[in-house]
Amino acid sequence: MIKVTNIGKKVLVADTELTILDALSLNVEAGESLAIVGPSGSGKSTLLGIMAGLDTPTNGTVHIDGQDITAMDEEGRAAVRARHVGFVFQSFHLLPALTAMENVALPLELQKGGDAMGIAGSYLQRVGLADRTEHYPRQLSGGEQQRVAVARAFACKPTILFADEPTGNLDSVTGETINDLLFELNREEGTTLVIVTHEHSLASRCSRQLHLKSGIQFTPVAEMSVKC
Amino acid sequence: MLALQILLRNWRGGQLRLVVGALVLAVTVVTSVSLLADRVEKALVNESASFLAADLVLEGNTRIAQDFVERAQATGLRTALMMSFSSMVYHGDDMHLASIKAVESSYPLRGAIRHSDKPFSADPAAEQTVRTGPPVGEAWADARLLPLLRIELGDSIEFGDSHVKISRVLIEEPDSGSSFSLIGARILMHVEDVKTAGVLLPGSRVKHRLLVAETGTGTERVSAYRAWLEPQLSIHQRLITPDQAQARIAESIDSGRRFLLLAGSIGVVLAGIALALASHQFAIGEHLQVGLYKSWGLSGSAIRRLYITYILAIGTLGSAMGIALGALIQGLLVWLVRDWMPIDLPPASFRPWITGMATGFLCLLGFMLPAIWHLPNLSAMTVLRQDIPVKSASTALRGGLGVLTIGLLLLWYSGNVAISMAMLVAFTAIAAAAMGFGLTLLWLGQKVARHLGSIWRLALANLWRRRLQSLIQLLGFSGAIALLMIMAVIRTSLIDDLRLQFDEDTPNHFLYNVASYELQEVEALIEQRALDASGWFSMVRARIRQINGQDIESEQLESHESLQRELNLSWAKNLPENNTITSGDWWSSTPYNAAASPPTLPPLSIEEDLASELGLVIGDRITFSVGGLNFEARLANTRSVSWDDMTPNFYFLFPEGLLEGYPRTHMTSVYIPPSEKLILNDLLRNYPTLQVIELDKIIERVRTIVSQVTRGLEVMTLLILACGILVMFSAVSLSMSERLQESAILRTIGSSQRLILGVQCIEFTTLGVLAGLLAALGAETALLLIEHYLLQLPLTGHAWMWLAGPLSGGLLVGALGVSYSRKSVLLPPLEVLRRL
Repeated sequence: MIKVTNIGKKVLVADTELTILDALSLNVEAGESLAIVGPSGSGKSTLLGIMAGLDTPTNGTVHIDGQDITAMDEEGRAAVRARHVGFVFQSFHLLPALTAMENVALPLELQKGGDAMGIAGSYLQRVGLADRTEHYPRQLSGGEQQRVAVARAFACKPTILFADEPTGNLDSVTGETINDLLFELNREEGTTLVIVTHEHSLASRCSRQLHLKSGIQFTPVAEMSVKC
Repeated sequence: MLALQILLRNWRGGQLRLVVGALVLAVTVVTSVSLLADRVEKALVNESASFLAADLVLEGNTRIAQDFVERAQATGLRTALMMSFSSMVYHGDDMHLASIKAVESSYPLRGAIRHSDKPFSADPAAEQTVRTGPPVGEAWADARLLPLLRIELGDSIEFGDSHVKISRVLIEEPDSGSSFSLIGARILMHVEDVKTAGVLLPGSRVKHRLLVAETGTGTERVSAYRAWLEPQLSIHQRLITPDQAQARIAESIDSGRRFLLLAGSIGVVLAGIALALASHQFAIGEHLQVGLYKSWGLSGSAIRRLYITYILAIGTLGSAMGIALGALIQGLLVWLVRDWMPIDLPPASFRPWITGMATGFLCLLGFMLPAIWHLPNLSAMTVLRQDIPVKSASTALRGGLGVLTIGLLLLWYSGNVAISMAMLVAFTAIAAAAMGFGLTLLWLGQKVARHLGSIWRLALANLWRRRLQSLIQLLGFSGAIALLMIMAVIRTSLIDDLRLQFDEDTPNHFLYNVASYELQEVEALIEQRALDASGWFSMVRARIRQINGQDIESEQLESHESLQRELNLSWAKNLPENNTITSGDWWSSTPYNAAASPPTLPPLSIEEDLASELGLVIGDRITFSVGGLNFEARLANTRSVSWDDMTPNFYFLFPEGLLEGYPRTHMTSVYIPPSEKLILNDLLRNYPTLQVIELDKIIERVRTIVSQVTRGLEVMTLLILACGILVMFSAVSLSMSERLQESAILRTIGSSQRLILGVQCIEFTTLGVLAGLLAALGAETALLLIEHYLLQLPLTGHAWMWLAGPLSGGLLVGALGVSYSRKSVLLPPLEVLRRL
């Protein structure tokens, strides 16, 4: 589903070239779930952004569903995102002026996805917020807001869902319910899941983990010992 | 459609409200001003025709040729013939040399005649306005004819071989100033009555006029007729057009329009600043939304289309609302100044509506578009990382576009490159000076605050840290406060001037042309009625013959009307009250000695404007002719004269004892209470040559006009104040998230709500006080310029402004600012931090 080949990302910071990612390659199969883990500043979010086509690598290629998105211009990548990609963010990114229902419906409306409100309603029901559809984000708890965000991400029926620290702003109990929801929908919809996380519990629920340190993939000691 | 739906949803977020509010206000200010200016201008064009009673007048000393009339009628024009001349009228033993104006029934072609059924009455209920002249057999006469001939309304008078009935008192007809002599009482009658009376013989001095007007509002037929007529005119005939008739009114309307334009432009500049700030804030709020759109696969071009739809929708909606509000405010302005413009204003043309709409869209293009232009180019990564740099248009570019927009708008409004450039330069210079001064005040503030308590230090340091926002707020508010204070001063001084004139004993009538042999009797009559006269002045009628020994050449004669007619000379021992010597010396310091040897020329004092118009300087010799007797005088001094104090003033004054030997008449000003007004009947009946000017009606009218115009101006000023408030809200909302964060951090570390509110209160109040100070400086400078150059008054300071400005600014901005930003204190700190 996603094929990352030898990508690197370098940026200029105060006239000094900084390497964020270096010679990274990986494959994510359809329906698979991948956790990208690593300490802060290891390049997790940058990798997620490049894999999702939000950003471009300095070198290397990224293929989504067989299409080389690194060879495309921004318009082309946008079209790929529209067809394949959904997102869940650490700080939810709900639009404060919109109700829960409108937040979920908005991407559907922009993609002209039929009965946007109907679909939004059914997904809100699936995440357990059928009675909060007319509430504004400020009237919802953090967990509820993230559930709205999850409903919004799945409502567009993406083939790949990218989640950036989806439980980073939540307590462990609430975080766990969000994780349950993510994996449940992942199973039911057959979505490929790519999650950036610090949390071991979440990472361990994924079928595969990618460890990053200073932009380089590495195999942690514990994993090596298991393999041994 | 979807874009509109999203726009409507975003409306709930509140950031769009300031954008739309600023836009609506800009359009409102401009629409109200342009509508008013347009309607007044149209009215002026119509009205100037009615001052002439026609669109075109042919005037001559000979009878108007019949084919001129027929040609006009064949062209589809309306016509009216008119004759004016002096003729004796009789009633019993009484007689009077009246000024007759004979007209056809179609007169007046433009404008209307006002008449009344009560002589000497100020009662508007007795007045009637009609659009046709008197019928055959009837005449409408000046009120003073009634006592002169001892008649009542309804009586008939003898006129040549026939009789005409005086049925109404004539108050005003459209072209009253054009052909009537001031000496005889005016009588308006039908031309048929003149024929019947047989008063006009070959060689009689008659002025003939042919009045011509379009049936509608066009000008084509009149132009065609004029082109046909002009080559056929004899040297004794001339054409008069409304433009020539109304040049002065046009000038005053034009300066009125310029003032409105200036006020409107200040409003647009302030609203533009508010719009730019609000749009900047709106754009920041959209960053996340654009990031999300991109993550959902919306392309940059689709996002740009979305925002262009936003601008079109906001522009259409905001401009429509502004236009509606502008029309309402214009209605209010017209109602407020209804007596100033007693004419019915015609409906506006389409131009002001287009101006309003264009202002709305141009403001959006100049102020909003630059602020949101970068949105479609935002990196999609903004959804993952907040630290992605945003490449928005630079402040300099946005400022430049803003100035360009203002320039284009000014050009649109004035239609004159020079005026719009001058205004643009003036605005920029004032803003730059105000910003420099404001920056100094803010810097001084934070320096001083270092020696004060922590709360002051924090507040004033905040103002300095956010100095760009502080400066913008300072600018917006000081502009609005300065305008309010300028208005207050102008209004107060105008009303004070009028109040002086309205003291109980302020003269409200001028009596003049009293013969020397009648003087004692008239004085006695006035005293007998216990009326208060301001003292009698003598006048000798004279004509200027030579200047510095040179005869007045015909060219010179044309150059000034005072050289063409007889002038009133008077004398005074002491410099009259409210007169000021502007050059030379008054003669009380060196009394004139007529018997001095060698003989010296008698001194003469002339009003300064007239002296300068005639090119006279101190020491010049002027020769006057009084009834054929010449005498010479030397210009000893020039005076400025206060013409509006309602007492007799003279252009030419001599020392006492010099002119007494010449035939003279006398004048005074007197206060006649309304209950005593009938004394005028006695005076005019007993002394037929005496003339009266009724000032009371003029004064009343001037007072109404001044109070209405100032009220109208206040509405404009309030609109501008609203723009200033909007600038403040926009500027405060820019710093809102920063304020929220600061407040949450301070409260988390244990600061009380009181402390935080205190800091905000000091911050805004200080800003208001500084704005008030800046406003006082600006208003003082502007008033000194206005008083010196426009009103030519001595320079006086306005100490109260230096107190009222900072005080009102502190209270207003403090209260508004704290009420707007207090939610940063009311929300629980955790919620605030979580929101951020």
